[in-house]
Amino acid sequence: MVTVTEPRLLVPVDESASLRNTVAYAVDEAISRAGEEREPATIHFVFPLAERISFRNSSSRADAARTLLDRVASWAEEDAKGADITIETALVATHEYLSTPNDYADVLVRYANEHDLGLAVFDPRYDPIGSTPLLPSLEAEVRRAGLTVEEAPRDAEQPSQPLVRRGTLTQFFALFAASFGFYLLLAGSVAPFELATGAISAGIVAVALWRVSLTSPVAPLQTVKRLARFCLYVPFLLWEIVKANVEIAYIVLHPDLPIDPEMVEFDAAVWSALPVTTLANSITLTPGTLTVDVERQHLIIHTLTGSAREDLFAGTLERAVRFVFYGRAAARIPSPFERREEDDA
Amino acid sequence: MTPREIAVVVLVAGGAFFAIVAAVGLVRLPDVYARAHSTSKSETLGAVLTLGAVAASYGIGFNTLKVLLLLLFMFLTNPTAAHAITRAAHELGIEPWTGDEGDEP
Repeated sequence: MVTVTEPRLLVPVDESASLRNTVAYAVDEAISRAGEEREPATIHFVFPLAERISFRNSSSRADAARTLLDRVASWAEEDAKGADITIETALVATHEYLSTPNDYADVLVRYANEHDLGLAVFDPRYDPIGSTPLLPSLEAEVRRAGLTVEEAPRDAEQPSQPLVRRGTLTQFFALFAASFGFYLLLAGSVAPFELATGAISAGIVAVALWRVSLTSPVAPLQTVKRLARFCLYVPFLLWEIVKANVEIAYIVLHPDLPIDPEMVEFDAAVWSALPVTTLANSITLTPGTLTVDVERQHLIIHTLTGSAREDLFAGTLERAVRFVFYGRAAARIPSPFERREEDDA
Repeated sequence: MTPREIAVVVLVAGGAFFAIVAAVGLVRLPDVYARAHSTSKSETLGAVLTLGAVAASYGIGFNTLKVLLLLLFMFLTNPTAAHAITRAAHELGIEPWTGDEGDEP
């Protein structure tokens, strides 16, 4: 059993906007815990540098990781202000392939056990896989392995994500092609004049926005598949919308106004920005449900009637959205209702 | 009347009906969240049916395509706007009306 005032900390690090903040928090925490226990404080900053297929060669990534660890160590020394604290840094998992939260948790837990560390402090934006929210499941895994887990507080002043990101040439051309196509569609002709003005406009759009509008790498085949499945989704959604409206019309025009509003919350089983957006918008458009707030995949939904709540938890929409973005296999995940029953059991 | 005219009339009538439902709902429903239901759903379908009538009266051509694009944007923006409004209400801490506090709808 780990004591509550464990002064030996494990802090996984990666490039992150809130890293500086997390280091300061970890150092504070270690010193105050050490004070209570009268043991020397120790912090290990670890960087899981997984093997990854990438255009950059791995030694330059290792160098970048080492530079980051050195920077973190110097920040920590600065924050410690001469207090008695041991700071260690390490690159781990340099020859392993890590892809899921479980893999990361295994590596971190192994390191913690080797060095007898009892508390893991996570950066709130720690996300080495990128594009999928990793942190909740990673924390759960590490906690299951017997470590105490804490998340450093978020710094409210930091913007949640930089608007401008690194772009690739594919993104540039994808955006150019989309804008050009749309321009020609609206112009309704392919006369030389339209082609020239369209190319100029699309060029301006692409130059100005290529690092803003497309956030993930473009994968043409996957995009086409998704579009095809999306075309199947649209009639289904339209039907749901018509049903929703007949129901709302009945409720609104009924003399007694038979409503039973309630706020409900659930974690949707979809994993990245675009699917969550699609699901949230679809929920808003369908019977008696309205998405009020979204944080990662946690949705807060206002429901107008009891039957709307049942439909929502039956998960038909969620399943359909998963089908669009991840294919047929992903559609078979249990519905929110079944997941909740599992949690209760 | 030609079949096309009949289709246009039916679509316009449907659009007007749902727009009226949206307006009635806006007045009758008890709080900001419930009202957003009415404005996001009925208003969307009302506008969609009306635009459908426009598309039907144009027949097949580029103008119809543009109307269809308009429809697409309505589908994207209406729920987003409703979401923005209710989210702002939620962040201000406005409690949803549940009907069991004895207050008038």
